[in-house]
Amino acid sequence: MATQELGGVGVAGESRPAHPALTTPQPAAGRPAPRRRRLRDRLRRDRTLLLMTAPAALLLLVFHYIPTLGNVIAFQDYNPFAGDNPFESFLYSEWIGFGNFQALFRDPLFWGALWNTLAITAFQLVFFFPLPIAMAIMLNSLLSGRVRGFIQAVVYLPHFFSWVLVVTFFVQMLGGSGLLATELRSAGFTPPEIMTNPDTFILLVTSETIWKDVGWGTIVFLAALSTIDTNLYEAAASDGANRWRRMWHITLPGLRPVIVLLLILRLGDALSVGFEQFLLQRDAVGSQAAEVLDTYIYWNGVVTAQYGFGAAAGLFKGAVGLLLILVANRFAHRLGEQGVFSKS
Amino acid sequence: MENHPHEGPAVNRRSMLAMVALGAAATAGATSLAGCSSEAGTGGAGANVDALSDLLPKYQPIDLVKADIPASPPAAPGFVTYPRNLVDAVTEKPGKSGQTVKVTTLNWGPTPPGVGQNAYVDAINSELGVPFDFSVQDGNTYADKLAAILGARDITDVTVVPSWNTNIPRFPDAVKTLFEDLTDYLRGDKALAYPMLASFPSNAWKYSFWNKRLHAVPFVSDGPFAWALFYRKDLLGSTPLPKTAAELLAFGKAVNNPGKNIWAFCDIFPMVQMIFKVPGSEGGWRRNADGTVQNKIELPEFEKAVEFTAKLYAEGLVHPDVASTKGADAKQLFASGKIMVMQDGLGVWQGMYRDQLKVTPGFNMQPMPLFAHDGSTPIMHGTDQPIFYTFIKKGLGAERTEEILRALNWAAAPFGTKEYELRQYGVEGKHFTRSSDGTPVTNDLYVKEYANQFSFMSGRNPAIVGGPDTPNYVEDRTRWDGNAVQYMEPNPWASYKVEQPTNLAKLTTPTLDKITDIIRGRRPLTDLKGIVEEWKANGGNEGRDFYAGLLKS
Repeated sequence: MATQELGGVGVAGESRPAHPALTTPQPAAGRPAPRRRRLRDRLRRDRTLLLMTAPAALLLLVFHYIPTLGNVIAFQDYNPFAGDNPFESFLYSEWIGFGNFQALFRDPLFWGALWNTLAITAFQLVFFFPLPIAMAIMLNSLLSGRVRGFIQAVVYLPHFFSWVLVVTFFVQMLGGSGLLATELRSAGFTPPEIMTNPDTFILLVTSETIWKDVGWGTIVFLAALSTIDTNLYEAAASDGANRWRRMWHITLPGLRPVIVLLLILRLGDALSVGFEQFLLQRDAVGSQAAEVLDTYIYWNGVVTAQYGFGAAAGLFKGAVGLLLILVANRFAHRLGEQGVFSKS
Repeated sequence: MENHPHEGPAVNRRSMLAMVALGAAATAGATSLAGCSSEAGTGGAGANVDALSDLLPKYQPIDLVKADIPASPPAAPGFVTYPRNLVDAVTEKPGKSGQTVKVTTLNWGPTPPGVGQNAYVDAINSELGVPFDFSVQDGNTYADKLAAILGARDITDVTVVPSWNTNIPRFPDAVKTLFEDLTDYLRGDKALAYPMLASFPSNAWKYSFWNKRLHAVPFVSDGPFAWALFYRKDLLGSTPLPKTAAELLAFGKAVNNPGKNIWAFCDIFPMVQMIFKVPGSEGGWRRNADGTVQNKIELPEFEKAVEFTAKLYAEGLVHPDVASTKGADAKQLFASGKIMVMQDGLGVWQGMYRDQLKVTPGFNMQPMPLFAHDGSTPIMHGTDQPIFYTFIKKGLGAERTEEILRALNWAAAPFGTKEYELRQYGVEGKHFTRSSDGTPVTNDLYVKEYANQFSFMSGRNPAIVGGPDTPNYVEDRTRWDGNAVQYMEPNPWASYKVEQPTNLAKLTTPTLDKITDIIRGRRPLTDLKGIVEEWKANGGNEGRDFYAGLLKS
């Protein structure tokens, strides 16, 4: 039950499964209609829904699918100034086949950036991902609406700060001339290097991410928690289940589809761990610790106007992301979950 | 649910899988298809602009006010007294169409209010007869913005480009495709239609050639010097200034006081390189006496500069904020007395001095006199290249292009004209008041509205002008400039328009990253040799051949 509701795509009040516009109606018994007729009927029947989908589909087409065609420059020595207009520059730029990919895979800095990115993703999957779930469960157990609202407002707020602000805040607190260092120094201690230590950089960026986004991450889980039937808790309590048992047998199973969904989406995004956060702290810890795929693409594609090379790296990133999503989704199906898109 | 026909998503999934398979094949193919693919990038280009002298605008000097403190170019002369009678240099309204001219320019500071809400811009617009609408970008990140604007061909009628952004790969292509060829508007006597522009020295114009055609109006350099080390004279009092590298280190240790939240330096690596006499031409190339060409990173001087800078970090003399994030603002740390010595361009001096005098009475920042690491004759990096180039969009038509050129001519009026005063100080009574000696003294509205909009758009013959709000500035500045100008390192490539080879441009960041690692103590100094070898193999040697080849041609 919860599964279907949280899939979020079903139309309220209808028992039909997801994607109503795509489902096939049952043909009338004994009189199989020709296929074209069926399509027209379907279009007529669903025209309101189709019309409602049209703006979103158009938006996708214009801002996602058409620009995607620009990836063709990954196979070119792209010169944005060839020809008389941007379209001609695609046509007149020289085709170099897989030259950009070759240069990419040969570059040890690329592999370094990829390794850093994956390490940070893996680390944050373990040390960041569960925190919003825990926090959501904690918030949900607060009875006073006023206290809960206050805490929510406080923890949501940092999400809206830019990374420059977040990093500056950390520098002011933990940096060499920050609050902590000044206090330690006046007490006669040598302050530790927190902001400039490449060995602990992964801890630092994860702390920054936690501070900034843990509150924001609770929103989806809180919404999921609100759909769990309270009767279940009452029934379990009257059967003698204590708080931990109720959480283990009711709360967590109720959250499971959302957790799996977000986990899959996060895996698909595994090669994106942020950009500004790493650009800002790059010199402080060195590129060996702070270079991630996105900053690598920025330095080697954008700054030096090597757009074809940058596109090749971006395409690689996209392909790996897609692969990860599909693998994770299949794995979720194995476990009996709905995943990102449903199984036939 | 399991039995329900549910074609759509399933089909999607199959096609998605097919796409992935394709993607995987493509990636796997990358190595096997190596035979039929080639590498991207350009080998670089350089044109000798000395050969184009017959296309230059005719030079016709304007001498309105005699300088109080003359200077040998490229240093700028100083004016201590403000002229009583200003000349109305441009009598005819430059604009006729009344059609808005959109301009992309840059500034280092807060974004000013736009046209219609900015009394300074509006006053000049009504003087011009054609409204100029400025999009003022942040100077620190302008290069990134510019790459996107040019790549997308999304340019405004007028675009201002700093000279240090013009050697990026394919910039000449961009100029050819996007910007108007001004040769036929400005060549020879035609330039006399724009007398203010014709008063620019030919040396500035000759840098404005791309693809052997005149493409831009230069901003004549008024500060040819790359960097200076500023120190807080008001706070340091009579502390003797360093004259060698060892004394600089001792000076830093003497003023450093973390317990009081005071540090000696921001990042001063470029200045340290100058102190150790590392070459600076074209980003660090040197022609030796025997004709061979070397890059700075191959030289023992550079190694010493790296070692010295690493010592500054290791001794804790650099402010931790600067060491922790790119977001740190050295100007602010210096102005608030948290660092005692700041490296910056000389352009920062007058503005910071004026602003800080209002908050901190007695505020006094001074550039240290130049010195070399061993006390020998110092060198100064820099160039007499224009600071900015102003381009006009291609295809606006002759009438419109001439209108814009007339407006640029207006904005180029030199010191001693009414136009200069309006452009530099705004409207009397609104943006400035006149002190007893006639010098304009600007107010808060000026600070808010003035962002070098018209000043950066068109150059002028340089002049160092002070006023009661910056006492002794002209004297101090011209004295420092006059001393520094004799130490300027000659640039063997001065008459070349250089477009770096792609492989060399690509090498800049990775190499600098590794050197930063040494400076910050994350790698030992002994790694430098290996870094240099990598640099040579990955494009450094190609770069050397390129720069050496230019001099032979």
